[in-house]
Amino acid sequence: MARFRYLARKVAWLAVTLYGVVTFNFLLFHVLPGNPVRLLARSGHLTPQTVADITKVYGLNHPLGEQYLIYLRGLLHGQLGLSYTYREPVGTLLGQYLGNTVLLLAGATVLTIVLGTGVGVVAANLRGSKYDSATVTTSVIGWALPTFWTGLILAFVLGVWLHAFPIFGEQTPNAIYTSSLQRFEDIAAHLFLPTLTLVVVNIAQFVLVARASVIEVLSEDFMTTAIAKGLTPRRILWRHAVRNAMLPIVTSSALLIGLVVAGAIEVETVYSWPGMGLLVYNAVLDRDYPVIEGAFLVFAIVVLLVNFASDLLYQALDPRVREA
Amino acid sequence: MSAESNRREFMKRAGLLALTVPAAATVLDACASVATSAKASTIRVGWAIEPDTMNPLTTYSTEAVEVLQLIYDNLIHTGLDLKPEPGLATSWSYSTDGKSITYQLRKATWHDGKPFTSADAGFTFELIKSKQVSQYAQWVTDLTSAETPDPATLVLHFAKPQAFNPGLAVPIIPQHIWQSMSASQIQKFANSRPVGTGPYRFVNWIKGQSIEISRNETWWGTRPAAQKVTWILFQNEDVMAQSLRTGAVDICPEIPPTIWDGLAGAQNVKAVSMPSFSFHHIGINVSENPKSGGNPLLKDRVIRQALSYAVDRKQLVDVALAGHGIPGSTLLPAGFGEWHLDIPLSQQYNANQGKAKALLDAAGYTLRNGSSVRTSKDGKPLTFRLIAIQSTSVDVAAAQLFRDACAKVGIQLNLTTLDANSLGNTVYNSKAPDWDIFVWGWDTGVYDPDYLLGVPLCNQIGSNNDVYYCNRHYDQLYDEQATELDHATRRALVHQAQQFYYDDAAYIIMWYQDKLQGYRTDTWTGWTEVNGGIILNFTRDNYLKARPV
Amino acid sequence: MVRPAVEGGLGRGPGPDLTLSAQLAVETDADARQTALRRVWRYVLADPLGRVGLVLFVLVVLMAVGGPLFFPFNPAAVASSSAGLLRAPSAAHWLGTDELGRDVFREFLAAAHISLLVGLAATAISMVLGAATGIVAGFYGRWTDTILMRITDFFLVLPQLPLVIALAAFFGQSIGIIILVIGMTGWPTTARIVRSQVLSLRERMFVTRVRSLGTSNLRILRVHILPNVMPLIFANTVLVIGSAILAEATLSFLGLGDPVQVSWGTMLHFAFSSGAIGRAAWWYFVPPGVGIVLVVLAFTLTGHAIDQALNPRLRGSR
Repeated sequence: MARFRYLARKVAWLAVTLYGVVTFNFLLFHVLPGNPVRLLARSGHLTPQTVADITKVYGLNHPLGEQYLIYLRGLLHGQLGLSYTYREPVGTLLGQYLGNTVLLLAGATVLTIVLGTGVGVVAANLRGSKYDSATVTTSVIGWALPTFWTGLILAFVLGVWLHAFPIFGEQTPNAIYTSSLQRFEDIAAHLFLPTLTLVVVNIAQFVLVARASVIEVLSEDFMTTAIAKGLTPRRILWRHAVRNAMLPIVTSSALLIGLVVAGAIEVETVYSWPGMGLLVYNAVLDRDYPVIEGAFLVFAIVVLLVNFASDLLYQALDPRVREA
Repeated sequence: MSAESNRREFMKRAGLLALTVPAAATVLDACASVATSAKASTIRVGWAIEPDTMNPLTTYSTEAVEVLQLIYDNLIHTGLDLKPEPGLATSWSYSTDGKSITYQLRKATWHDGKPFTSADAGFTFELIKSKQVSQYAQWVTDLTSAETPDPATLVLHFAKPQAFNPGLAVPIIPQHIWQSMSASQIQKFANSRPVGTGPYRFVNWIKGQSIEISRNETWWGTRPAAQKVTWILFQNEDVMAQSLRTGAVDICPEIPPTIWDGLAGAQNVKAVSMPSFSFHHIGINVSENPKSGGNPLLKDRVIRQALSYAVDRKQLVDVALAGHGIPGSTLLPAGFGEWHLDIPLSQQYNANQGKAKALLDAAGYTLRNGSSVRTSKDGKPLTFRLIAIQSTSVDVAAAQLFRDACAKVGIQLNLTTLDANSLGNTVYNSKAPDWDIFVWGWDTGVYDPDYLLGVPLCNQIGSNNDVYYCNRHYDQLYDEQATELDHATRRALVHQAQQFYYDDAAYIIMWYQDKLQGYRTDTWTGWTEVNGGIILNFTRDNYLKARPV
Repeated sequence: MVRPAVEGGLGRGPGPDLTLSAQLAVETDADARQTALRRVWRYVLADPLGRVGLVLFVLVVLMAVGGPLFFPFNPAAVASSSAGLLRAPSAAHWLGTDELGRDVFREFLAAAHISLLVGLAATAISMVLGAATGIVAGFYGRWTDTILMRITDFFLVLPQLPLVIALAAFFGQSIGIIILVIGMTGWPTTARIVRSQVLSLRERMFVTRVRSLGTSNLRILRVHILPNVMPLIFANTVLVIGSAILAEATLSFLGLGDPVQVSWGTMLHFAFSSGAIGRAAWWYFVPPGVGIVLVVLAFTLTGHAIDQALNPRLRGSR
């Protein structure tokens, strides 16, 4: 029953935060400077008729409060407004790009978590050794690398000098595929460098977290008991240390989503990967407010949901944790 | 008037950011392991800005017009010699008083199979006029009525003679698709399956990636050789140029100067440079509006001319454009040929800091009390605000050079950079324009002096007139040339108008940039170099006349 | 961009997580505090990573101070013809020229200034905001804590880079705006760390029964809480600087930086937009990136060493 109440409270809090994000989103993009009609003009002149038409179409003639209600109502119907650049529903645009971003982020996230945890655990086990120092040093340097610059250098080295991988887009332009396997290979080849960049940059974080939490667990009392009980070191490591170290790793994974979402903007821009990051970047350049607003909302909701899931997971894994 | 070629898109093209990685100049050739379409049947164009919409009535982007001009026909098209050639109109003639134009129309079919008639043509013009919609509205301001005496004839009646024939500009849209839409509906209409009478049909548009069109086998004109045309969007021009080298695209119509330089010596690639119809300029706020926040000192022509003398346009071209441009002077770029007024170098307000100082001294703007900034007779310093678009790197560079040059003659400019929209908002805030000097640019909407000459008109304040210039004499000159059907007379008037505006120095035109393009020599041939560019120009004929190698 | 890390599962901290829940020995004795300082100094020197960090830090200071003195950059010193653009390194120009023909080496040094300035100023803002929030929330507890932490959590959830991009896009692209924007999005993580530290300090306060002696809140804050939180805040500040510098570099690279006051990120931005890659002008696009990495490392390694010195858990002892 206590668990259920805990869960209910968490869900309620999630709903409140979601509402807060939605409202914050609206305020951010509607009370900021900029005349949307002028943005739509993109030229010297609009006839007064066109100005009136555009104002009506975008609902800019209503007072702010009413625009807010219209916005909320639209959200409930899945409408996110009309893009200023393309004059199409923002939802449609996002949908076209979202799949590509998910593809990129999913691969990068899984790889980072798995590889990072593995490397970190091994480093923790071999503490004080050359491997450990090398790991920590490399990770610290990796943390300091700007994502975009890493992407550029990687693309330059692997894509240009070694000519091993394509550096632009999702598929070869105008490609004709003889089979769907070939299409899959083409996309995978284009996916390699962006994923590699994200992994290289974010793995450092993970390695250090995994290493630190395993170290802490290894020094706990119950570990001494395990050793005294005669369990082999390997067993100790994997069955006890890692499982108990999972908690911070789970939390870190949730954080990773936030990072990767941000990293996606940089990486997609560098490799022209047609995902939401690229859409946001271009929308910012064009000051296409509805698109930025919609994308921002999607990012926020994704991060929010992932954090919520990780909170639940954390709670499930560690019954000691309760509301602070 | 509105802009067929919008300013913002122009500036984006001029100063795009390149963020992805291109290959080094020493890279090996293409390593594409996936077969691409047989090159000889598709023209693949690489560019870095994509259209905003496929709706010809709501678009302001040059790229959109580039695609739409192959899907829709005009009554009259611009040929490779930049002269009018028949489109949907096989011939046209002016009435004796010059106020009516009669077009004889040919037989054609819409892409959805329905027949084209004069009703569609008349409908198009009347729609634009009545709903006051689209960038073409400016060409029909004097339109009084559109008559269709029979299905193959269209007569347009105007209140005044039209030196520029609107048939050249307006794409003809099908009545049966557009007739039931209200003005708001038109604004919202995406036209995702455009139906025209043109040589190509729309296939698809993958946003952010590519647009594809394929040949219309029932088109009325000579069958073009290219079965398809694809425009591929690159997020950065360096990668785009690289794709030209590796053969992933056949032609790139807009290449930035330093990247174009890097194409020299590339195998199977020809880098070409043509004069353009565009310029970048320094604009000075000369608004007479009492609410204007512009510095009143700038209303003195002496100061404006001194500013013009202070800067060396050749240096601007060399440094900001890597030499790829013509130093600017009068309102119509050199690419306009005989329309452009060529002022001898010795008579230009250019590159003469001594003259600038002399002018200022004589007018009483001197350096007092050991200051490095001149002051007027009643002690006001010659300090002005300068704004430029931050994403247009050539403008930022030029602004800095301009600022440094003016410092040498005792005028202080405080530079701030803004994003393109904020700059537009600031400059075009016609109720109370609060700025002093900007750096910006213009493309021309049509191949006719009318467009650019029409910018500094009194009635364009609140519209295209970015510096709020207003002068009766200039307006009069403009009106005369706009209604003058005799070519030689018109040319003389056009020159007079340019000289007049040049002397008033509200615009300091920095350069006429070259149109830098590149194409592969081993896939398509028959590209004719035209002022303004092989493609992405007023003429679509290069698409139609290209042949596979 | 901003790289948060786990902090014992309670919240996030800036920089790589080389510590766990940072707990300091609560010392109110002035002598004990001095020992802590000396401890830090000794540790920084002893730890190999700390030594490297110190060396880099000294280099950064030398660069920041010596740069404008010995190699001033003149943005107006452009090439006189197009032949002078993007030239390879030579005796006249140690790192070649950029797309306007200016000396890249001097530009690099001048840009270092801007990058550092923005990083430090933004960090100052976010540290002040974060520390204040954390202290107030942790100390006063109850409703104040709940409300402040809910607000903090809310800002933690908002994706940072999109938010920073949106704010920079709307408010303009000058150095001042960038500083404000980065500063205002970096404080939640600090707030969390500081709060948890204050909470644990408060617990020990009850143990020492200081409260029962009737001391005022303000005095407790000043005498007991602040001195013991300051080292933590200090260690964190050094780590946050790295994040802020990375944030500024990213923003500038994406084209949202100040194009006239050039930072390393802006240099990279212009390098790409002028086709320096296509011309293999490595002297233009490699040094700024290396500069960013070295400066961030300088602050991070030093910060890590300080952190480790104050946190006995991860030190050499097994």
